[in-house]
Amino acid sequence: MPLLTIATLLPLVAGLGLMALPARSNGMAHAVSISATGATFLLALAIWARGTDPGGFAQLEEAAWIPAIGAAWRLGVDGLSLPLVLLTGLLFFLSAIYSVRITERPATYVVLMLLLETASLGTFMALDGLLFYVFFEVSLVGMYFMIAGWGHEDRQRAALMFFLYTLLGSLPLLLAIIGLYLGSGTFDMRAWTQAPPLTGPAAMLALVAMLFTFAVKTPVLPFHTWLPAAHVQAPTAGSVILAGVMLKFGTYGLVRFSFEMLPDAFAAAAPAVLAFGVVSAIYGALAALAQSDLKKMIAYTSVNHMGYVVIGVAVAALATGPLVRATALDGATLQMVSHGVVTGALFFLVGMLQDRAHSRAMGDFGGLLGRVPWLGWGFIVAAFASLGLPGLAHFPAEFQIFLATFGTRPWGTVALVGIVVTAALYLRAIAAVFLGPANDRWAAMPDLDRHERLVIGLLLALIVLIGVMPGVMLDMIHRTMSGLVG
Amino acid sequence: MIWLALTLLAPFGAGVAILALRRAPAAVAIAGAALGLAGALGLFASMTRGERIGAGLPFLPDFPISLEATPLTATLALLVATVTTAVLIHAAGYMARDPERVRFFGTMALFVAAMELLVLAGDWITLLAAWEMIGFSSYLLIGFWHGRPGVAGAALRAFLYTRSADLGLYLAVFLLIGRAGTSDIAATLDVTGTPALIAGLLLLVAAAGKSAQLPFQEWLLRAMAGPTPVSALLHSATLVAAGAILLIRTAPMLPEGVLVAVGLVGGATAVVTGLMALAERDLKRLLAASTASQYGFMLIAIAAGAPVAALLHLIAHAAIKSALFLGAGVFQHDRESTALEALAGAGRARPGIFAGFALAALALAGLPPMAAWFSKEAILTASWASPLAPWLMPSALAGALISAAYMGRALRVLWAGSAERAKAPVPFMAAGLWGLAALAATLGAAFGPLEALLGAAIAEGPRFLPLLGLAAAAGGLVLGWTLPPDRLLGPLFRQAETGFGIARALEALSTRPVLALAEAVERLETAVLSGILASGRAGLALAGAARRIDRDAIDGAIFALVDRLWGFGQRLRRLQSGLIHRELALSMIGIALLVAVLLIAPLSS
Repeated sequence: MPLLTIATLLPLVAGLGLMALPARSNGMAHAVSISATGATFLLALAIWARGTDPGGFAQLEEAAWIPAIGAAWRLGVDGLSLPLVLLTGLLFFLSAIYSVRITERPATYVVLMLLLETASLGTFMALDGLLFYVFFEVSLVGMYFMIAGWGHEDRQRAALMFFLYTLLGSLPLLLAIIGLYLGSGTFDMRAWTQAPPLTGPAAMLALVAMLFTFAVKTPVLPFHTWLPAAHVQAPTAGSVILAGVMLKFGTYGLVRFSFEMLPDAFAAAAPAVLAFGVVSAIYGALAALAQSDLKKMIAYTSVNHMGYVVIGVAVAALATGPLVRATALDGATLQMVSHGVVTGALFFLVGMLQDRAHSRAMGDFGGLLGRVPWLGWGFIVAAFASLGLPGLAHFPAEFQIFLATFGTRPWGTVALVGIVVTAALYLRAIAAVFLGPANDRWAAMPDLDRHERLVIGLLLALIVLIGVMPGVMLDMIHRTMSGLVG
Repeated sequence: MIWLALTLLAPFGAGVAILALRRAPAAVAIAGAALGLAGALGLFASMTRGERIGAGLPFLPDFPISLEATPLTATLALLVATVTTAVLIHAAGYMARDPERVRFFGTMALFVAAMELLVLAGDWITLLAAWEMIGFSSYLLIGFWHGRPGVAGAALRAFLYTRSADLGLYLAVFLLIGRAGTSDIAATLDVTGTPALIAGLLLLVAAAGKSAQLPFQEWLLRAMAGPTPVSALLHSATLVAAGAILLIRTAPMLPEGVLVAVGLVGGATAVVTGLMALAERDLKRLLAASTASQYGFMLIAIAAGAPVAALLHLIAHAAIKSALFLGAGVFQHDRESTALEALAGAGRARPGIFAGFALAALALAGLPPMAAWFSKEAILTASWASPLAPWLMPSALAGALISAAYMGRALRVLWAGSAERAKAPVPFMAAGLWGLAALAATLGAAFGPLEALLGAAIAEGPRFLPLLGLAAAAGGLVLGWTLPPDRLLGPLFRQAETGFGIARALEALSTRPVLALAEAVERLETAVLSGILASGRAGLALAGAARRIDRDAIDGAIFALVDRLWGFGQRLRRLQSGLIHRELALSMIGIALLVAVLLIAPLSS
């Protein structure tokens, strides 16, 4: 059975089906949303159960699309994409559960979410350059509607930012993809990775073009400015998907396209990429430290954490020993998953707080731990995961990244100060919101309900699982990465 | 294997069970600790029979995690389990009326499991992980009464100070693994030369953070905001001990240059924090400053090349300090304060508790034949024989004199003054205290066999050294008992009261620049954002003009296409923003261009 194709198209088909219905109640829209995303998540688990190949892509599915130019419907997974597919399936499912509270045009909202899921899964599983680009673009359009339609108080401005960056950001990637096509005569990404089609200045030009796109998407300093604006204004599920899934397009592209398809040019540019990653990681942590808006703070920590991913990929290109290179890529890939789970949990929790208090300002709260223990302890655990506490999801990834960095370019480990700054900012936020004397204003705040506990409980369980047994993800990641650098 | 598992999993299981079941927390915690103690005893017994026990688990590719029981690690595990059991028995009384006992005992049990993991770690990743986990659980314990003012700040400071210093451990671990190609601790200790020097100095930074050595001592004084049994545990065999344990375990690797640095830090801390203890006005803070000072002694021993002397002092101090804190907890319950002023005469009101407290205090002062007498003696002997003797000897002697002086002062305060207001008996608290005080008095007898087990005997020193140590202990006690600290310290008193300004200087050099930098980043962000928005608006104005021209021609055609392709485009159009149409239009133009290029390119070639 073509599980990959089914998983990719199922959300879209469900969404179209919902649109085709003559009468749509709120409940029906959310029921469609939860069952479609739930089924897709199960499909992702089934794909995981089928496994990957050590040598390349597994579970290939092909169909003719535009044979004249060598573009085809090509899907497949490996140890880089499969963890991200699982992450995507999970976060969309949880977002659907959380979103039952949405009563403003729920059918349109659900259709957009389902469209986004198809686009996200397609981006990770596409093995055709043109198909990848189409999915990549469609996801941006979907997210634009999400922010503009269901965002918070200042959504027009944020949507404008997102729009500007989107427009500027994705065109260079198209040029790079055309370049790769002209060099090889096909859009088959497998061909591009097996025999990199471009060399010399052409390769460098293509690399610079795609690095620009991925730097906007990841985001890397100085192209990150859209991120805090978009995140603060996006609806909760939008933030979760944006941070948890869509930022990974940038780093996934960095590995899949830059590292794999333009290896020589990327190795030459790697010192600069490393520098961008290091500066980004430190800058993101410092900017987060200066925030008093919880959501904005978490948005900036994404710049920090994604900076570590960039460091890992750059180090993998710079290192000479296959062991160190595999360690760096393992860490970078695991970090993408960990960031998705941890930041997803944090955005959900802040959203739940905002639903209750209609405020995100740290100074408005105080002493909430005694009032809403589920919310409080959930936030504390997720925050400590985010600051890299061992036993939780970020530690194994960051340990691998920094271990490889120290052995390759020791100066890169200055980014390690980021773990102290993030510790400071999370402890400050916890102290301001959840500790200290209770604020009477919130004496009637209700704790998490059943739906919310399910969402948070699942994510926290996963955070602990990855922290204690990173092998559940790393085994498949490592198999692919060892092949990639061998 | 079974003993190893029991030592770790009994407290861990107890913690999980308490948090999950929320029943009988004190009993479950004590049962878990007792089982853990049984495991540690079994482990220790295996060591005396010459066995070596280890276990491994997969973690990262190429870097499995492992546990190992050696005479050293099994001794430490036994120490942790013993002190824990006594402290938890005491806590059953101390926390009897607290509404959040479930959270307290659950966290305590998990903390103990993390500490056992740390002492039994066989590889660097496990050690680093446990190192950070004890930091996290102590954050939770120090912040236990989180609703009270000042508590959140104390917990925050404790975690942040130690985490900053932990960067040293991270870097040292990266360096050692990179050099040795394995994360096994024993294997990395073969590293020599410059890497060993750098790694050693980095480890010293981490150890100084955890063991509250200069200039990081401040967090420990503030950590007194937590419940007293927490202090008793953190200050004795656990959290603070981690730093000294790290240096004891890595001592075989540390080159001369690192030993000098260790000696400088340890000697200075022993004296400076001792003076701060002497000038304190609060019993718990006095004991906290004393902890930092006593760990300074252990660093002196390591610098003198006698890590076994440091271990002996660690063991002696663990029993003594936990006993002192448990005593302080009883007095705190009676007087609802730990200020020395409020505690005047509190000891006389409870002679049984006071006797236990005094026994531990005299042991800390270094009177024979109690535990710390032997360990201080070993430290003095090693310092005398060390090439660093000119620095180590005076600081060790001065530190010993000051230790005795502040203990003398504490005893005087507790004994003198009014003795009214004795309350009901406190059987649990007394049992915990006396168990530990008895250990403090008698542990010295076990030191000889322990040295034999570890295979590291301490050389004999000159005859006058014991006399010197005894003179320092007795002299200090007399001085502390008879003279108030402001007369005793003279001009130093004001300085010592404010911690010699070290904490303030450290924050001025680290916290404030970082916060200023963060503010600068934020200003830059705001400026860039408004700049982008301004240029965006300008661009949109231009685009608006263009749009009016080609709206009818291009847009019309493309939207007809879009409408046919996607039936639901109609519904999406109801959204209020008009920008998306342009995005879609441009995407379509882009794709059309692409297709055109692709079709033309093969034709022309």
